[in-house]
Amino acid sequence: MERCMNWWILISRSLRFHAKSHLGAGLGAAIGSAVLIGALVMGDSVRGSLRGMALARVQGIELALASEDRFFRAALADAVAEDLATKVAPGMQVLGTASRTDAAARANQVQVLGVTPEFWALADAAGELAGLRGGEVALNRRLAEQLNAGPGDVVLLRVTRPSGLSREAAIAPQEDATQSLRLQVARVVGDAEMGRFSLRASQIPPFNAFVPLGWLQEALDLAGRANLLLVGTREGLSAAAAQAAVKAHWQLADAELELRELPGTDELELRTGRVFLDEAVTEASLGARSAGRAILTYFVNELRAGERYTPYSMVTAMGAPVVPAEMGDEEILVNEWLAEDLRLKAGDIVELRYFTMGLGRGLEEAQARFRVHGVIPLSGAAADRELMPGFPGIEQAESTRDWDPSLPVELSRIRPKDERYWEEHRGTPKAFVTLAAGQRLWANRYGNLTAVRYPAGASASDLSAGIAGDLLARLDPAAVGLRFESVRQQALAAAAESQDFGGLFLGFSFFLVVAALLLMALLFQFAIEQRSAEVGTMLALGFTPRQVRRLLWCEGGALAALGSVIGLLGGVVYARLMLAGLTTIWRDAVGTSALTFHAEPATLVIGALAGTVVAWATVALALRRQARQPARELLAESAGEDQAPSVAAGVRGVWLALGLSVMAAGLTAFALARVQEANPGLFFGAGALWLMAGLAAGSVWMGRLAAREGAGRLTLWGMGIRNVTRRRRRSLATLGLLACGSFLIASIGVFRLDAVRDADRRSSGTGGYALVGESTLPVVHDLNTATGREFYALEEADLAEAEVLAFRVRDGDDASCLNLNRAQQPRLLGVPTAKLAARGAFTFAKVAGDSGEEHPWELLRGAADNAGDSGAAVSGREIPAVGDVNSIVWAMGKKVGDTLDYVDDRGRPFRVRIVGALANSILQGSLLIDEEAFVRLFPSEVGYRMFLVDAPSKDADRVAGTLSRALVDEGLELTPATRRLAQFNAVQNTYLSTFQVLGGLGLVLGSVGLGVVLMRNVFERRGELALLLAVGYRPSGVRWMVLSEHGLLLLAGLVVGLAAAAVAVVPSIRSSELPYASLGLTLAAVLASGVLWTWGASRWSLRGELLPALRRE
Amino acid sequence: MLSLAEITKHYDSGAGKVEVLARVNLTLAAGESLAIVGPSGCGKSTLLNIIGTLDRPSGGRIELDGRDLTGLDEVAMAGVRNRELGFVFQSHHLLPQCTVLENVLVPTLPLADVALRDSAPGRARQLLEKVGLGGRLGHRPGQLSGGERQRVAVVRALINRPKLLLADEPTGALDRSSAANLGELLVRLNAEEGVSLIVVTHALELAKQMKRVFELRDGALHELVDSH
Repeated sequence: MERCMNWWILISRSLRFHAKSHLGAGLGAAIGSAVLIGALVMGDSVRGSLRGMALARVQGIELALASEDRFFRAALADAVAEDLATKVAPGMQVLGTASRTDAAARANQVQVLGVTPEFWALADAAGELAGLRGGEVALNRRLAEQLNAGPGDVVLLRVTRPSGLSREAAIAPQEDATQSLRLQVARVVGDAEMGRFSLRASQIPPFNAFVPLGWLQEALDLAGRANLLLVGTREGLSAAAAQAAVKAHWQLADAELELRELPGTDELELRTGRVFLDEAVTEASLGARSAGRAILTYFVNELRAGERYTPYSMVTAMGAPVVPAEMGDEEILVNEWLAEDLRLKAGDIVELRYFTMGLGRGLEEAQARFRVHGVIPLSGAAADRELMPGFPGIEQAESTRDWDPSLPVELSRIRPKDERYWEEHRGTPKAFVTLAAGQRLWANRYGNLTAVRYPAGASASDLSAGIAGDLLARLDPAAVGLRFESVRQQALAAAAESQDFGGLFLGFSFFLVVAALLLMALLFQFAIEQRSAEVGTMLALGFTPRQVRRLLWCEGGALAALGSVIGLLGGVVYARLMLAGLTTIWRDAVGTSALTFHAEPATLVIGALAGTVVAWATVALALRRQARQPARELLAESAGEDQAPSVAAGVRGVWLALGLSVMAAGLTAFALARVQEANPGLFFGAGALWLMAGLAAGSVWMGRLAAREGAGRLTLWGMGIRNVTRRRRRSLATLGLLACGSFLIASIGVFRLDAVRDADRRSSGTGGYALVGESTLPVVHDLNTATGREFYALEEADLAEAEVLAFRVRDGDDASCLNLNRAQQPRLLGVPTAKLAARGAFTFAKVAGDSGEEHPWELLRGAADNAGDSGAAVSGREIPAVGDVNSIVWAMGKKVGDTLDYVDDRGRPFRVRIVGALANSILQGSLLIDEEAFVRLFPSEVGYRMFLVDAPSKDADRVAGTLSRALVDEGLELTPATRRLAQFNAVQNTYLSTFQVLGGLGLVLGSVGLGVVLMRNVFERRGELALLLAVGYRPSGVRWMVLSEHGLLLLAGLVVGLAAAAVAVVPSIRSSELPYASLGLTLAAVLASGVLWTWGASRWSLRGELLPALRRE
Repeated sequence: MLSLAEITKHYDSGAGKVEVLARVNLTLAAGESLAIVGPSGCGKSTLLNIIGTLDRPSGGRIELDGRDLTGLDEVAMAGVRNRELGFVFQSHHLLPQCTVLENVLVPTLPLADVALRDSAPGRARQLLEKVGLGGRLGHRPGQLSGGERQRVAVVRALINRPKLLLADEPTGALDRSSAANLGELLVRLNAEEGVSLIVVTHALELAKQMKRVFELRDGALHELVDSH
């Protein structure tokens, strides 16, 4: 029995029979799908590449503890490894600079890593690298390339020399702050061997220099110490488990604490190489079972009574047994030596002068007055030289002459009697105040005690173990910087939540997709129109219009699906081409050439499905008017011509065009009146309105022309123009496509950013600063003061008229648009709010609430109140922050009002609330918080590492050169602010270029559509054209008529689009960055393509014998 | 079976109202055949389109088996065309992508009656056999002569057992011999299938083969009594 006829047979028969006429439509669907799939695959590729880079940089590391300036025992790694049953590598990470011995090449921001074979084992790269010897260095590829160094070459590394007392403390010595290391390159480390190792997410690899841990420990006098603990992957491993392992095995030495028996006493003393005990340690130690006695000893510059003074002495704040309980906070006990020197007796007034430990290393001297409570003998508890903490540069000195010469003391003031006192009593305090008085004067961000003492008795060692155990149990390792982070999880999250290039390229390719779909719709519609008799027959045979449309829709669906399958291949090619563009001509947008092709099967399936659905929906739109005409009309020859619009429709069209014109004119006038501050979006909106008005006017004109009775003098040109109205909708669609395309391509340039424009204005993206820079090692001296400049051997004239604004830096993820990863914890900058506010620097794009609009910088001030003097107050509080709007939106995925979670130096969580967004600025990449809040939260962050330099533009180069040379050891690198801004702008500008190129391609595709429309129009009128030839017209004349009709559409489309774009680009006219050349080329290509297709199509359509067509008529 | 009462049809043009059909009255019994003749532009095809529900009259009433067709909506009219009427046009309008058999079966696709649809292939073969195309079932329209294509179109019009077959200049595009053959076929099928037949034609030979012949003149039908 033969098969019954069914719908599917009919559809498949139609598809096969009309394959040729469907070819174009299928190709359109394929192009649309290819672009769609390609864009999504771009997303996969960027995500996949970033994931690859993330895994390359963390290799087999799951957790990391990076305690920066706090050093623990490297041996802690073994105990933790045993507990966690996985690989654990200790390491040392210090920042430094690297250079060739001939100074021919140099690199800043180098991570110098002291590593053990366990480190390499985390990347399964033991082998040769595990045998790295002392004096040898392994460079990662980027650093090797920067230094142009290979195995056998000698390089110089300069690293920060860790110091117990912060180098920023006024009384810390400045000599030997850095250490120079001369090393021979043993190997260049590849990406798969930990070459990209970094704890920060970025697609740009760091500069890494690897040396043996033991050798680095020795070089930095940190034997057996480490500040990095890397834990290998293991199923179910958590940061909490690692934290617990540290807590279970840590010792006082891991918190840089020491509990020692004091010689000649029956006391134990808890002290630290950091001089000041952390607040967390203080709290834990004083709350321990064995009550301790708190001691704070400080270095005072002078003790003065009238004309007499004693220079450079220790004063201790404590209670019993030296200071009696009844002594007031305004009183002081002086030892007999001091009493004699200053001729003091009870009731006299003593003035103390001392350096404060405020912001920076500013040597600000403060003073305090005390009334002498009494004079005590220089014996017993008051003659305890151990009360002086281990002030670096002083503690070990045999004589005052041996004090570190970089200490801010005037050795000439030291008298022989002072020298004798030092020789006999060393740092024995000469005076005592109450603990409360001492802490009021000398408590600082590093701590408020220098020692805690416990009565020991006979069994000192048992007690020591008890106190240590009790203290460690009460102390959270995180509070002293020993905190694990799930670096692998963070790395993968940063890659997974990275900039969505799929969405980005979908946007860029939007016009291309639209053009392809329009082309497809046109071709499909034409193919169906050719079958109008078939449609009419089916209606006559009793099919309902809906059934006919469904039939055609299914045909279109099959075409769409087929197109998507072909589009899969095209999509892969498109993505590869885009990737090639992104790693070459558009590299500015991503800053790396290491992007590789990745395509997830799910993406391909989703892309193909999406392509099918979109193409199918386009077909449905194209079909919605099909089979609506009566069968008798469809069966007639002239089916499909548009009727002239009704009078009412004509009037509506006129009003629409007029209304749009009035609105466009109004918006243009408004924008022009505020041209200085107007948003480019305003002009873009005005341009878009003009475009719509132009299209509406075009529609009205065509309608009028169609309805006109007489044509006046008949010319070929006139006939051509009237022909435009025969298929008015088709003509209008072509006009619209060309106009919209040219408008978008030409006007999108308005959003280009120009770094140079108004760069000297304080409200601009440079803040009016000439230079911006960063140093590798912290700068602790104020470069605006004579002392600071003197320290770096800078002459006053060198920096005349220049002023340096220094920011503190808490390292974090780069949140600029140069980082493709989602910034999980953006870098924090501690900024001097008052200076920025006074300067009125930068422009705020948005602030939280209304109150901050007038003084937006002041919004940061809330930080000081919130942070409070007591660090404990910070916990659970919020710190206001300001960031660049691009960083906030794109790199962080946040908005003004949102918060980010951070952890302070003591391991306590706090939140940063974004209260303001700066318009496009050089401060991209970080969040700015008030400096006072910063130092309270991160007391361990020493000095300043980011700088803005205000200098006359003519002197900028000279100032940059002078400063860079003077601070070469700190690795200072200064860049003109405009160049930095241009680098950031390059990202947006490159994206716009990408859009323009892809949009241009779409427009070219649109001009192909014009050719197709022309061919179709001519094909439909072959009989009519043949008649013209039959009555004596020359073929060239007929071609001219056809060309004039379609050339008019091409020109009108471009003119309407460009005229509207001219309004939109007004704000960019002054800009040097408006890409006149590429814009001109794109539009010329569109015009050329349009003319070529029009001409070619007219030649093709009119070729051959037209007589048969005439016979058919 | 079919009755037309006071059917009028006029068009609005820029120049005013153009009246095509003034007062057309007609009745047709089941199995009867009639031809409508008249000069070009007199409205013959318009009348046929109105009878075939492809066009709506400006006034008047059409009844098919007592059912008024003028008030039906589009879907109902499509149903009437599919099940109760058969069309043969001057041009065959066969689907070039389908075989002869498939073309004949195309009108069965919208049928809801499963039994009718299932029996359609057998009937199609039978009818094609009857019109001498039993050996051309798998051929495409492009492989047939003009007369053969028109015979396929006639079979397609009959596949759903319509009550009324409407033929608009069915021989207009055929040579003399093919036209004669087609005329004979229509008359034969009219008798054998019991289907009523209305033929609009210029060809008097064809018209004379119908039982009754009407001339459309001045918008009204006038029966030519001496047609035989």
